[in-house]
This record gives sequence, C-alpha cells and structure tokens, in this order.
Amino acid sequence: MRGDPMATKPTTQKPQAPGVHPRRLWSIQPVSDRQAGDAVVSNFILHWFPAKALKDSLAWRYSLWLGTISAALLLLLVLSGLPLLFLHVPSVERAYASVKDIEYVVTFGYWIRSVHRFAAHLMVAAVFLHLMRVFLTGAYKNGVGQNQHREWNWVLGVGMLLLTLLLSFTGYLLPWDQLAFWAVTVGTNIASAVPLVGPQIRELLLGGRAIDQPTLIRFYALHVIVLPGALGALFAYHMWRIRKDGGLASADHGTRLPTRADCSPSSTKTYTLLGVARGTGPTIRAFSTEAPNLTVNSIPDLTRRIAIVVLGTIAAVSILAVFVHSPLEEPANPLVTPNPAKAPWYFLWLQEIVTDTTIKLGSWTVNGALVGGVILPGLLIALLTAWPWLDKSPGAAAGRWFPQTRRTQNLVFLVLVLAVLALTLVGTFCRGPYWNFYWPWQSWPELPRRI
Amino acid sequence: MEKRTSAPFSRRDRWTLAGIGVALIISTVLFVRSDRAHDWRYYQYEFKNRVAAKFGAEKAASVPSGLQQIWAPELQRADRCITCHQAIHWKGFEQAEEPYRTHPERILRTHPVERYGCTSCHGGQGYAIDAPEAHGPIEHWEEPLLSSALGQEYSLVEKGALLQMNCNVCHRYERETKGADAINLAKRLVNEKGCRACHVINGRGGSIGPDLTFVGEKAPEQYDYSHLSGQKTAYAWHVAHLKEPRALVLDTVMPNFNFTTKEAQSLAMLVLSWRREPVPASFLAGAPRTDPQTPEEKEAERKMATGPGAWFVKTGCFVCHSISALGVKSPAQIGPDLSVAVEDVQSRFGRTIDDFLNAPTGTMSVVLSRQIILSSEEKAIAVQKLREAFAEYQKQKAAGTAAPLSH
Amino acid sequence: MSQKSDKPEQQKDRREFIVKLGIGAGLVALVGQAVASLRSLVPNVSYGAPTTVKLGLPHDFPDGMKFLPDQRLFVFREGNIFHAISAVCTHLGCTVRAEALSQVENRKVEGSPLRITHRFLCPCHGSRYRGDGENVAGPAPKPLAWYHLSVAADDGQLVVDLAQPVERSFRLTVA
Repeated sequence: MRGDPMATKPTTQKPQAPGVHPRRLWSIQPVSDRQAGDAVVSNFILHWFPAKALKDSLAWRYSLWLGTISAALLLLLVLSGLPLLFLHVPSVERAYASVKDIEYVVTFGYWIRSVHRFAAHLMVAAVFLHLMRVFLTGAYKNGVGQNQHREWNWVLGVGMLLLTLLLSFTGYLLPWDQLAFWAVTVGTNIASAVPLVGPQIRELLLGGRAIDQPTLIRFYALHVIVLPGALGALFAYHMWRIRKDGGLASADHGTRLPTRADCSPSSTKTYTLLGVARGTGPTIRAFSTEAPNLTVNSIPDLTRRIAIVVLGTIAAVSILAVFVHSPLEEPANPLVTPNPAKAPWYFLWLQEIVTDTTIKLGSWTVNGALVGGVILPGLLIALLTAWPWLDKSPGAAAGRWFPQTRRTQNLVFLVLVLAVLALTLVGTFCRGPYWNFYWPWQSWPELPRRI
Repeated sequence: MEKRTSAPFSRRDRWTLAGIGVALIISTVLFVRSDRAHDWRYYQYEFKNRVAAKFGAEKAASVPSGLQQIWAPELQRADRCITCHQAIHWKGFEQAEEPYRTHPERILRTHPVERYGCTSCHGGQGYAIDAPEAHGPIEHWEEPLLSSALGQEYSLVEKGALLQMNCNVCHRYERETKGADAINLAKRLVNEKGCRACHVINGRGGSIGPDLTFVGEKAPEQYDYSHLSGQKTAYAWHVAHLKEPRALVLDTVMPNFNFTTKEAQSLAMLVLSWRREPVPASFLAGAPRTDPQTPEEKEAERKMATGPGAWFVKTGCFVCHSISALGVKSPAQIGPDLSVAVEDVQSRFGRTIDDFLNAPTGTMSVVLSRQIILSSEEKAIAVQKLREAFAEYQKQKAAGTAAPLSH
Repeated sequence: MSQKSDKPEQQKDRREFIVKLGIGAGLVALVGQAVASLRSLVPNVSYGAPTTVKLGLPHDFPDGMKFLPDQRLFVFREGNIFHAISAVCTHLGCTVRAEALSQVENRKVEGSPLRITHRFLCPCHGSRYRGDGENVAGPAPKPLAWYHLSVAADDGQLVVDLAQPVERSFRLTVA
C-alpha cells in the first residue's frame, strides 16, 4: 500500500532489541507508537521531547506558539550572526567600513544583515507577546501536579526577556554609525541615573567615561558570546522546567485526572555514567497510560508543528529581508548630535517617560532619568517578577484564557501594556527635532546638508 | 501490527509544511535574484562589447569582470567606482558617454588612481556599487559627487568647478594651484580684501570674526538657516552670507564687499574646503603645509606697526580705517580714511570727534561697545592722534605729496 | 482493479507527492540559504596589494636589467623581448642583490636561448642564483620564480602578474 507512511502497516519484522530498528530514518518517521517512543531515546536531537504530547498543548489557539516563534528567531539570529561574525570588524576605525562592505560588496551581505536585524526586532516583540500570553493565561501558576514550580519558570522567562533586550541593545552599537552611537548614549545616560552607583555602572558599561573603542569591544563580546551563552543556558533550563512541571499549563487544566491516586514513591532505575543506579523516584502519573485518547506521539505530530513554526518564521523573515534594507547613517561623530536622538524602539517608552517626568517645579527640576528611567521600570520589572507569589487566584485558573477569577489582574496588565505601547508609538512617530511633539501627518523641518 | 496513534490534524499539517517549503523556495529565489540584479553587471557587459567592437575580441577578453576595488590604504579609501567606470585608462574612449569615458590623462600622472582612489578628488560614496548611492546626494552620506550636474543645480558659473573644493583640501596652503582656477580666484580675493583683518585663516589673522581655519568641518546643522531662502545647505549659506552678510547674521559687522556671484561661489567653495584632513607623509611632496607671509608682507607690516600711525595699529582701528597721511593702510578699508576725520565727522554728523567718540552712532557704536573698548584716556589720545593726522594730511596736500584718500 | 476505485488511490498518491515535493523543496531551500551564508564569506574585493601591477611603458625600460623595489622584481630587456625574475629569495624571503657578470653568457634554459648578464646573491644567508634564477649555492631550496608579463590592453604599459609564475622559457615579445 503506497501513500502515507503513517498509515497502519504490518511491520515486516519484530525489532531485535529496544531502540534497534531496521529502516534508516526510522526515528524521524516512526510507523508505530513503539517506534515513536524509542525515537525519543535513540535520537540525539529528538531526546529533548517527551514521548507523548497532549493534544491540547499542540493547539494553535492556546499558546499561539509564541515561545517556539521566539526560539526560532533566536536560532535565525545565531545562524545569520555567524557570517556576520566573520565580516564585521569591532574596531572604531574599521567597524563602519566593514558594515558598508557587508551592505555592498559581500554576496548576499545586505540580506544576511537584514535577516539579522528583522529577527532581532521581531524577537523582542515575540518574547514580549509570549510573556503577555503566559500572563493572560495564568500559565505561571501551579496546578494539580506535585512539585510543580511554574513560578520559577516565569522568573526565568523575565530574565530571558531582559537578556533579549540587552542582546538587542549591545548589537545596536556595532555598526558604529550615528544611529548606534547616540542610541547607546541615550541608553547609558539613563543607566547612570541609578542612585549611588549610577555613574559607576555607566563607566563599567562604557569601559571608560565616553563611548569609544573599549565600549565597542565590550558590547561586541557581550553580544557575541556572553549574552547568547547566558540566554542559551536559561533557555535550556526553561525547557527543563516545562518537562518537570508536567508540560504546558493547559495540560493541568484540560486533563484533570479523576482521582488523586496514590503518589508514594515508586522504585526506579536510571543510567548514570558509571552504571545503573537503583532507587526511588516520584510517581508520575501519565496521561499516556491513563487517558491515551488525549495524547499524540511527539514524533511526528509535535515535531511537524515545530517545523512549521520554525521554518515558517525563517521563510517570513527571509522574504521580508529581501525588500527592506537595514539602515546605516553617517559614521559616528561624538561632536554632532542628530536631532532628535532616539533610543531603540523597545526603550523609547522609557525615553518618553523620562522626558515627560523631567518637569520643573519652581526652581527644582525633577530628575526624569531617575524617575522614568530607573524607578518606574525597576518597579515594573520587580512587580512582574514577583507576581506569581502575589497572585492569589486559585490553581484552577492556570492554563486558561481570561478566566473569571483573574479578570482584574488581566485587565490591569493589559492596561499597562497598552500604556507602554502608546508611549512607544508616541516616541516613534510623534517626536521630532528637540523632542517637540509632531502629529504623524505633520512634516518635520528639513534636515540641512553640506552641499 | 503494532499500535499507531494518529493525530487528527496530521494531514493538514503536512500540507502547511509543504506550503512553507514553497515559501522558502520563493525566499531563496528572491534573495539570489537581488544579488544578480545590479546595474554594474550591465555596464561591464556593455563596455566589453564596445572594446570588442573597437579593438577586437582579444583585448575585450582582458577587461576584468566582477566587483573591482581600489584600496588606497594611506587614505583609508575603498573605492569601487572602477566597477562601472572601466574605461579610465583606455585610450580611445575620450568622447564616449559616462561610464564608458576615458579619464583625462594629465591629472592622473601626478595623481595616480591607485594611490589616491577616486573619491578623494571627486567625492561621492566609494563604498557603494550602484550609481544612485555612489553618486548621491542621498540620505546619510554627506559627500555627494562633485559633478557638473551638482554645479548645474547651484547655477555655478563654471559648472565643473565644484571638484576644486577637494583639490584644496590638500593644496590649501598653496597660493596658487594649477588647474584650480576658482580656488585661485578665491585665494586672491582673500588677500586683496583683507579677510585676515578680522578672521584667522590658515593659522594667522584677527579675532574680530570667528576662526575660519577649519570652518569647513562645521556640521550643517550648526548653521542658522532661518533667514536663508532656497536650499538649506552649508554651501548655500556661505554664498548668501558672502553676498550680503547682514541678511543672514543680523547684527554682524562684516561689510558687504559687493562680490559678484562667481566670486561668492568661489569663496564659498574655498571656505568649505578648509577641513582637517590628515595628509600622509608620502603625499606631502606635492603640497606645502604652511602658508607663511612673504618677506615683503612682513616688512610692510613692521613698517606700519612702528611708524607714525603705530597707535592706530595697536588699538585695531586700522582694521577698518586707513590713515593714509600716517602711512597706515587698512587691509579691509571698510570705514572712511581717518586722515580727514576731523573735518569729515563734522560734515557728516555735525559733531566734533571728541563728541562722536564719546557717543558714537551706527556701526561705530557696535564696534566701540564690543570690539574696541577705549578708556577715556585712550579716547583723548585718539582725538590727539587724529588731529596730528589731519595736520600731517594738510601739510602733505600743500606739498603735493598727499597719498590719495582711501575713501 | 477498476478505474473508479483507482481514482481516490491516484489522487491520494498525487497529493502525497505534492506534499513531499513541498517539504523537499523546503529542505533544498534551507540548503540554499546555508550555501548563501557560506558564499558570503568568499571575498569579492581584495584589500591586499594588487597582484597585477603596471610597471610603466616598455620603452621606459633600458636594455639590460631594471630592478623594481616596490614589486621586488628584476625586469630584463633584450631588444623587444622581456622577461621578469622575482627578487624574493626562496629560502626565507629576503630581497636578493643582482651582480653584473664580467662576461655575458648565452645559455639554453628549458629549451629557449637566454642572454645572462647578472647573477644573484642573497645577503641574508648566502644563497646564490645563476642569471636564469637557478639556485646554485647556499640554503635556497628552489630557483627564483619567473612571473608572467603582458602588455596592458588599455594603455600599453607592461603588466606583471605576481600571482602567475611561469616557466623559464617564457618571453614577452612587445610589438
């Protein structure tokens, strides 16, 4: 019978031993449940996945697969970043010329750079949307499982959001043009508003008192190895915690097992470096045995969807990047400040708050950088990180979109997000020279040229 | 038969994956195409054909293909102009249209392309490989190609003269540079009109106006365009300022020298060429790096500073006024000759010079309150010296040896 | 099997094929993108000193030997026949010195006659070369390289290609 290899078909021979199968690509095209399960322990890349996944977890509409999109973008960033690593020179004398070379003279150079830039900006957006989704579905809450610690996964996620922002910020400086130089000037000046240690933080970031070669090499090292390494480590831990917590939060909700069965430790055997260790482990109740109609094989059903998301993201970014070139302004010039000088878009809401809170009260000027740049975002991040412990709603609300018991917190969260979005839009489209307010349809004064 | 759980959505998913595969193919085709779709490929093809038609297939085969670059390490310039402009060294294409035209030979003998690159003389963006970005003007690249087309936009009297701006970046200390006529005219004007009386130029001069030694580096955003109509460029600002200083800087003391349009344009080019440009030692042989005074100029200055009119030189009055009876020649000659000030002030303002110096009007009120502050003792000396000058003038006139008044 | 019952089978086969084609296309495209990333690392322009160098017009070269220090090259002219020998010692790269022979030799080198007017000595470690570049004494392992000469098509200057070594029978005859 030709056609779908997934169709049921009599196996030609019984496998000799577990994990030993005759066909070459059997692990990515298993023909039975047993093969699908064996694939997970026999294939290096596939060992990441559980043998079975809940159908509910795979739903497009629950998670919107935003986490996978973020990971796909991270992969794309690493892949596009590798050629750029060979082509960009992190010295103040050559950085700009090397980026001009990438744009003009390197085959496919402008496209690789555009892919990198698009993936970077989209990743900041995707990671934030993913955070929104997790909050709105209460997926940071623990459900029915034992020893679940979804709140720590949430903290890891906030950490990864900050790492993503830092990665984008450090990468922003590398072309060493006016846009890069002054965006980093604005960003690091806000950092220096931290009380007591602000100026020292700024000096540590810059490797000196002004943005110069030490800054460039510092940001380069952070961008290329330190931050990606940290992000990779947190990502691995993030995935681990999901497995340990029993899967997505919708799993807790959608598949409540009828009775709380005996959860005493069961005897277990595990393979260590030196041999076999026997002992006891927690009893994990599995849907695959108690409610098999709720699960599907990870391979191929979960992996196929992951491939759709990852490859779809790559296709979309690749096509976009052909048509939109990345900006490159004049070479960095510490003596000439562009007007206006703007932070990268994901920090524009902060810059907007800073300017809005820098107000004169009589002879005293409120330090907007402190209020808007340090205190406010600091409070927001702290609140965000601590929220799982502050949330008093019941565990049943975990893994559902807009449950009644979490209505107030979801509303407040959405309002805050909309406020940040509004501030970002104002900063992007409505602020012109001297940070004056311009409606989007009003034209800015013409920029003078040399000749 | 072993159990096999199949998902309800697997068929649909496979179709989606196939669709994404097609999208990936499309993206690959798109970015490969974008690499092939550059004009330089056409220009190279066309030039090869022209060489084959004119000189035969064998010579055509020696024309290089692919991206071409001139790397001038001492000037840190990577110029890719020769990717399209392949004919520069070929004899026989002098009448062809660009980019197939031979480059004038004489200048290349002293400025070989391999050492200087192209953009150090012509401007433009050497990094770029497409004409609009290479020639400009485009956003975010401040040096457009200094072409006749740009000269046309500025209604330059001599359309191709803009190029001389870049000559002067290296040749600025020369009094006269062969082939840079507009710049030479401008430099002559600087000497004749006495710009150095108020401005420091090439390291020496007065301090009444701003130091112009590196004024070409001033960022375009730092000029005040509020009174400038037309293009908002630094070049246009300078041309307008030279033609009528008070139109752009309302409280200036810079006089109107009645420059013709050609003179103002040449001077603006000169001014914009005054930039900090490090010239590597191996290039120095062709251009001097200082602009000292000639011995005659030094002698003339010494004479004035130690002669009978020395007081007027010391105070700075001589910047605007000659006192020809005492042998003081003003470099700028903006105000009237003070040899006859005693009579002149009386006839013009109906006041004595003591009175006038204590309560001046017009330009003098600005100058005496800002640039030259005289104490009452100094004012008394001024009056006395002016009377001496007038006496001397009358004596010379009687003897028939009076020098003509400067005003 | 009848035609009718085959149709859904065939349709299924066809759909299967299209799906496989799509997925296969995706894989090909991914390989294409990987190749693109690698192609971007092959340089299109050179930041080194150019290897084809113009040396001047042929009539600016004297009969006999001319040393060009910037290219480390000896250019020999006999009438309108030119050849070029590298001055880079094959031992460790020092620039060799040319010494005029008291008596001109005529030799057959690789089948072609050659008028030899000089010999070469390396000041660093004492390598010695005959006038055709053959290493005759000292630590030099190989003869001095000969490089390709041509006449530039655009302005008629002599052009040496320092990336193209040639046999010692090479001669450039200038019209």
